[in-house]
Amino acid sequence: MNPMSNAARQCDTRVEVLTPENIAFRYQVAGPFRRLPAYLIDLVIRVVVFSVLAVSLSIGFAGAGMPGMGFGLVLVLWFVLSWFYGGLFEAYWNGQTPGKRVMEIRVLSVDGQPINGLQAVLRNVLRAIDAQPAMFYQLGLLTALMNDRFQRLGDLACGTMVVLEEPRWFAGVTRVEDPEAIRLSAQLPAGFQASRTLARALAAYVGRRGHFSPGLRRDIAGIVGAELRDRLGLPRDTDLDQLLCALYHRTFAT
Amino acid sequence: MKVSDLLASRRESWRELELLCSRLEGRDRPHGEIIARFSSLYRAACADLALADAYQLPPATIEYLHGVVGRAHNQLYRSRRFRFDTWARRLLVDVPRQLYRDGALRLAFFVFWGMFLLSLWLAYTVPNFAQQLLDEDTVHQLNEHFSTAPRSHGTPVHGGMAGFYIFNNIGIGLRCFAFGLAFGVGGLFITLFNASFLGAVFGYMVSTPQRPNFLEFITAHGPFELTAIVFSAAAGMRLGFSLVDTGGWTRSASLRRAGQETMPTMGAAMILFALAALIEAFLSPSAAPYGVKAAVAVVSAAILTFYVLVLGRPRRG
Repeated sequence: MNPMSNAARQCDTRVEVLTPENIAFRYQVAGPFRRLPAYLIDLVIRVVVFSVLAVSLSIGFAGAGMPGMGFGLVLVLWFVLSWFYGGLFEAYWNGQTPGKRVMEIRVLSVDGQPINGLQAVLRNVLRAIDAQPAMFYQLGLLTALMNDRFQRLGDLACGTMVVLEEPRWFAGVTRVEDPEAIRLSAQLPAGFQASRTLARALAAYVGRRGHFSPGLRRDIAGIVGAELRDRLGLPRDTDLDQLLCALYHRTFAT
Repeated sequence: MKVSDLLASRRESWRELELLCSRLEGRDRPHGEIIARFSSLYRAACADLALADAYQLPPATIEYLHGVVGRAHNQLYRSRRFRFDTWARRLLVDVPRQLYRDGALRLAFFVFWGMFLLSLWLAYTVPNFAQQLLDEDTVHQLNEHFSTAPRSHGTPVHGGMAGFYIFNNIGIGLRCFAFGLAFGVGGLFITLFNASFLGAVFGYMVSTPQRPNFLEFITAHGPFELTAIVFSAAAGMRLGFSLVDTGGWTRSASLRRAGQETMPTMGAAMILFALAALIEAFLSPSAAPYGVKAAVAVVSAAILTFYVLVLGRPRRG
C-alpha cells in the first residue's frame, strides 16, 4: 500500500492494512502505555530466568569442579538474554514476547505482513540506541511520538510497528425497548430510507444514549432530530430522543 | 434483509472464528481440518467486512469485525522466522560484493586500523600513555590476567574470562552498530574509541614481561574478532549516514532501505564474532603450541581477504 495515501488519511492511532484478500482493515497502533508494561514484564522475566539459571549453573559447575566454566556460561547466558531475548521470541512466537502477549500487542511489518527473523532480531538489537541516553528510552520515546505509528528507531529501521490485538466484544444492534419509540417507527413514512451517514450517526447515538441523562439526550437529539422531524412532517411535540430511536429501529431492526 | 437478521445469521461464524483464533494463539498444533475451516471462516469474515458499509452494519459491529479479521490475519500469516536456505547465496555472493563496494566499510577499516596502529605505537613507545588512556585499574587487571600462561587456563578465573570476552566483544560490535544510527557520527566515535582502547592494550601488553602470554592468547582469534568489529561499525555508520544522504528518499524511507542493506553485513559480522568466540573459548586458552595458533590467525586473515577481495570483486554479466 502506498504509505503516502495512508499518512494523508490517518488522523488517529489506527493504521489501515490491505491484505492479499484485498480487504482493508484497521489496526490500532500500540502506544507507550501498552509497550512499557510489556517491556517491564519481559525485563522481570529476563532477570528471574537469569538469576535462577546463573545460580544453578554456578552451583552445578562448582560442584563438578569447574567453577570457571560455570562463570563463562553465566556470562554467555547474560549476553544472549540481553541482546536476543526479544528477537528470538518475536521470530518464533509470531511477533510476540511473553510481555507482549500479556499486554495483547504484536509486532508486524508496516504493511501488515508478519515480521521475519532478521527484522525481529534487528529491531531488538537497535534497542541499544533507542534506550539512549541513560537507558530510559528517551530517544525511542521521542522518535515514537514524532511519527504516526509510534515507531521507535529500531522499528523505523526494520519497517515494523507494534499493534494492539485484543479480543473485542461483539456489539450488534441495540434493542429498542421503548414501546413509544416502536409505535413511532410504525408511523414513519413507508419509503423512509436512512442514508449511510445518518445510519452511522443513529447507531452511534443509540449505542451511547444509555449513558446520558434525559437533559443531555434532549440536547444531543435536538441537533439532528428537529430537522428530521420537520422533514418527515411529524407533529412539533414529538419527543426527539424517541424519534431517533424510532429511526434506528426502522433502519436496523424491522 | 434487515441488519439484525443479517447479524444473527453471521454472528455464529464470527464467534467460531474467534474461538479458532484463541486455539491457534495457544500452543496446540492445528490439523488440516481446522486450518481449512479457519481459512474459510476468515474469508467469509473478510467478505463481511468488505460489505459492511453496504450492509449498513452498526459502527460498533464494524469495529468488532476489524478486530476479528485482524486477529485472524495474524494467525493465518505467521512470522517467517529465519530462512537459512537463502542465506547461503547471500553470504557467498551478495554480501562479499556489497562489502567490496561499501564506502562505509572502507572508512571504518581505515579509521579503525589507523587509530589502532597509532594507539599501539604510542602505548609501546610513550611511557605511561596506556595508563592515562586506560586508567590504572584496567592496566592492573590486564597485568593480573596475563601473568600466567594461557595453557594453564584450567584455573577458574581464566576459564571465566573466555565467557567474558565472548560477551564483551560481541556486545562491543552490536553497540558499534547501534550507535552508528546517530547520523554515522556515533559509529565513528565508538570505532575511534574501541580502536584507541584496543591499540593501547596491545601496545602496552607487548611492552611488558607478560608479552608472550598475551600474544599466545590473542593471536588465534584476533583477525576474526577485529574484523567483525570493523564490519559492525561499518554497518552502523551506513545506517546512520542514510539519514544524512538520503539519495532523494524521505529520511525514514532511506533509513528503512539502509536497514535492509546492512542486515547481511551485520549477519556476516555476527558469524565472524561467533567464529572468533569459538576459537577464543577453545583454542586460545588451550595448550596448543604457538605455531598452531599463529597458523590459525594467518589462515583466518587469508579467508577474510579472499572473501572480501576475491568473492567480492564485481563480475561482468
